[in-house]
Amino acid sequence: MKKTYAILALGVAGLLFLATTTRPIQNQYGLATGTPAIKSINALTFGPDGVLFIGDGKSAAVFAVDTKDAVPVGKSAGADIKNIDQKIAALLGTEVANITIQDIAVNPVSKNVYCAVQHSDGTPVLLKIVGDKLSAVSLKEVPFSMLALTNAPAEDAKDRRGESLRVASISDMGYADGKVMVSGLSNQEFGSTFRSIPFPFTNTQDQASLEIYHAAHGKYETMAPIKTFTTTEIKGKKYLLASYTCTPLVLFPLDELKGGSHVKGRTVAEMGSGNSPLDMVIMTKGNESFLMMANSSRPVFKVNYKNLADYQGSLTTPVVENFATAGVDFVSLPLTNVVQLDKLDDTHMVLLQRRSNGSLDLWTSNERYL
Amino acid sequence: MSGIYKQCGYVLIRLCIGCNLIFFVSCQQATDDAGIRIRWADKRATGLLIPRQFAPAVSTDSLSQQLIVRLAGNETTMLGQFQLVDDNILFEPLIPLTRGLHYTVWVRDKRLGEIIIPGLNADDKPTLLAIYPTQDSLPENLLKIYMHFSRPMREGQSPKYVAVLKNRTDTLPGVFLDLQPELWNADRTLLTLWLDPGRIKRDLQPNKQLGTPLQTGVSYQVVVSANWPDAQGATLGRGTTKAFVTVPRDSLSPDPHQWAIQPPKQGSIDPLKITFGEPLDYSLLTETLHIIDEEGRTLAGKWQPVNEERSGVFDPAMPWKAGPYRLKIESRLEDLAGNNLNRPFDRDITRKNTSPTTRPFVDILFRVK
Repeated sequence: MKKTYAILALGVAGLLFLATTTRPIQNQYGLATGTPAIKSINALTFGPDGVLFIGDGKSAAVFAVDTKDAVPVGKSAGADIKNIDQKIAALLGTEVANITIQDIAVNPVSKNVYCAVQHSDGTPVLLKIVGDKLSAVSLKEVPFSMLALTNAPAEDAKDRRGESLRVASISDMGYADGKVMVSGLSNQEFGSTFRSIPFPFTNTQDQASLEIYHAAHGKYETMAPIKTFTTTEIKGKKYLLASYTCTPLVLFPLDELKGGSHVKGRTVAEMGSGNSPLDMVIMTKGNESFLMMANSSRPVFKVNYKNLADYQGSLTTPVVENFATAGVDFVSLPLTNVVQLDKLDDTHMVLLQRRSNGSLDLWTSNERYL
Repeated sequence: MSGIYKQCGYVLIRLCIGCNLIFFVSCQQATDDAGIRIRWADKRATGLLIPRQFAPAVSTDSLSQQLIVRLAGNETTMLGQFQLVDDNILFEPLIPLTRGLHYTVWVRDKRLGEIIIPGLNADDKPTLLAIYPTQDSLPENLLKIYMHFSRPMREGQSPKYVAVLKNRTDTLPGVFLDLQPELWNADRTLLTLWLDPGRIKRDLQPNKQLGTPLQTGVSYQVVVSANWPDAQGATLGRGTTKAFVTVPRDSLSPDPHQWAIQPPKQGSIDPLKITFGEPLDYSLLTETLHIIDEEGRTLAGKWQPVNEERSGVFDPAMPWKAGPYRLKIESRLEDLAGNNLNRPFDRDITRKNTSPTTRPFVDILFRVK
């Protein structure tokens, strides 16, 4: 009898232990198990506890997927794979010409790299990279939730139900302070849609859809789509630092970005012609911070943060034409053809770079570039 | 054995065509010694069917540990899932198998067989149906070009296959913004190309350094290569050239109050025609116009741009009733230079009389008699 009680007690203790250690994440973030109908992966970014946000422009939606990859790692060597496109092509059983790497994102908890690949017929694939090993991330029967990016002006939402959604491509995504931020490009109108969506997603879709103007040199005012962005804090105030398809670098105070508002940004730098910004991250070394920005036809730019912070004039202050002499420390790094960029930790970046020998390499940078 | 497979594929295809299915799954007889077959869905090779008897020693639980599929001549094990389907082991890779490539199937280190995925028929090609704007005289600050294809195309290819020629001789670099990912509609049949907005916008560095992509009074040609591949890997097969000349800059917002509305007769299902007085954006024209009846209901029907996008016609689903109607226009409607109903593409803020508005719609009233 004693033995039976002992076994029962052990069993109960075991159950209690399991109950406390396998906390169901569904409850916390409102994720339910199923298979998300993801049509395309334009952008990836991580939220809390290994939740991955997948930006799907073709569905005009953002999916939150629990990767269950949330074991914290203090320090990581990052990822390093030479000829990554050839390796991915072989794993998928096709040729390099048939695949495109859409985005990479570092899981800030586990430091593993996630990589979105698109096949030439449009099929999206999600891969995970640990060190030099690639594996598939299954999106079948996973805890997830979805938020449709609606475009309807609020006062006419009923009329437009069922009509096509205008987002054709999600140009960038970020997560900060419990909010997913999404910049979208439309294949129809030329404008900027930037949304700030609270996470966990709610049915009420409390989201801000913004149109943003920026003034060129205080004379011409234009509207333009954001290509890439990051959030930052300058002297205790939070900002959205955005780069446009026409490459000016623009600062917006985050507290002014509210639903339906038209916010005038302040151009802090122009990055030259024939160029499209690709990715931005903020790195820190000692007491100094730097904005690192990858470009379609320029090397990686490094902007000293102190100079951005010093640009605290009025929003309509014309920018001095030659930004180099205007004091913005703007350095072209010896890093060319970097097509993807994300932050591993404060001093290390994960880069996807087309080397001069033609090889497409994923590698991790050290402090040398800061 | 092979005869049975052939028969099976034939009967399935016949059945599927008979049922008028868009997506069909069939099996196809392979050229392989081990009887490996291809599983097709919607013209895509989505998997390999390996007869169970060719790997009898492999238990159901250990299929993915023991069976391996590789690209022929490559040592990498392909990612994918194995499962038992009737008497076959089905291998489903993460993406469809590529036409023209050879694949090998292995049980541990023993090669079971090889299969080739057949290419598309030589005449199975997509076509470029149209390039918009249709007009042959376009403003210097033209912002967008649309290309409409007959079937889904491969993304990210336009920089390789689209060129702009000036005066039929010089190829112009940097006319279009190199945007990755490109702007395709959901089924990848309509591509939007932006002429570099940084060069069109007055006073930005790209505009100052390189000038506008197009200049007034010059003849241009948009040349589309025949080698542009579609989602299946088939190429256009035929090149297309669109010639146009440029006229001065358009800096004015479209003004719906200047449009001419030709109302139809009551009781008819005649189209309603609206003449804009200038060409408007092809893609927005079909989505931003709405007809509202007296009770506030949106009329069912279809909008079509006509007369080189200078007019739009609305074909109603039901006959017109007599009474007042409202043409509701979304303010995001643009002309060819990206000027919308609320604001021009770029606005000189030193001029006082050009304040942008934020109204979401503009309403125009008309009556059907």
